[in-house]
Amino acid sequence: MQFLKIIPTPFVLLVLWMTAAVPMQAARQAPASQPRTAPPAAQDEYVPLSELPPDEQLPAVPLVFIAYGLIWLAVLVYVITIWRRQSAVEKELQVLKRQLRS
Amino acid sequence: MLGRAFPILVTVAIACFGAAPFLIGAAPYESTMGLVQKIFYFHAPSGMTMFVGACVAGCASAAYLFTGKTSADRIAAAAVELTVLFGAIVLMTGPLWGRKAWGVWWQWDARLTSSLLLWMMFVACLLVRKYGGPGSAKLAAAVALFGMANVPFVYISVNVWRTVHPKTTVVPSLGAGMRGPFWFCVAAFLLLFLVLLAVRVRLAEQQSELETLYLELADRPATS
Repeated sequence: MQFLKIIPTPFVLLVLWMTAAVPMQAARQAPASQPRTAPPAAQDEYVPLSELPPDEQLPAVPLVFIAYGLIWLAVLVYVITIWRRQSAVEKELQVLKRQLRS
Repeated sequence: MLGRAFPILVTVAIACFGAAPFLIGAAPYESTMGLVQKIFYFHAPSGMTMFVGACVAGCASAAYLFTGKTSADRIAAAAVELTVLFGAIVLMTGPLWGRKAWGVWWQWDARLTSSLLLWMMFVACLLVRKYGGPGSAKLAAAVALFGMANVPFVYISVNVWRTVHPKTTVVPSLGAGMRGPFWFCVAAFLLLFLVLLAVRVRLAEQQSELETLYLELADRPATS
């Protein structure tokens, strides 16, 4: 379990990388504009989301960014809680073993 | 739990998650949902990992209830925590995708509601284990068994009831360019699950060792 002690620093870097990388990579790939096709007859009264005025459109980049950020934040928080619990247990174990030996 | 394979698994998992953004970025752009569909590559694998976690927790709980093996109880406790973790990820990322794709954060339909219930059952399991007092491990094991029984219903809910959530046929019908990154992410999440399970089981073993030592210490004056 000594191996675990080196995880957090690279893990934090990985979290930062993962949070930013997917939205950035994906946004770079986004097409400049969606191809326009005439809607089917039954739907011609609806306005496609992509044709809404800019102030009424919901940008996707923040949502993707928040989603990936939350995923890594959740995993990071869980790893930190395990790490803290393990450190506390290991300390307590050492103290008890010393007490039992004496 | 994994012995010498543990460092290798950690390294492979980190490498997988380091490479995932490139694969997700290179995957074809979904024409109707656009960029927000990229959440799918982590959302669906998290859901699958939640199901795996629930099944591991349920099977280990059954083993503990029927055989009384404490090792099974440790695996169950670890798997329950991980089910809650991956469930939380599913429940957080889903609404972010839904807001853009459906126009609403949440819909009380069959898939979303049953997923929330499944997650709440495992949260209840954690609470029972923590605050249930003596005998809580068996009670928590029973709750985890019920949680596992819920998994098939959550899975087929999209096919049985009308929901806004995509059906289970979405994954088999993925385009060639999307299938590779998706299954790569599934493998990465399952690896992460395995690594975290091993770490959490090790912690439970140490906690158990600590309890044994405390008992030994308490018995000392009486025996001397």
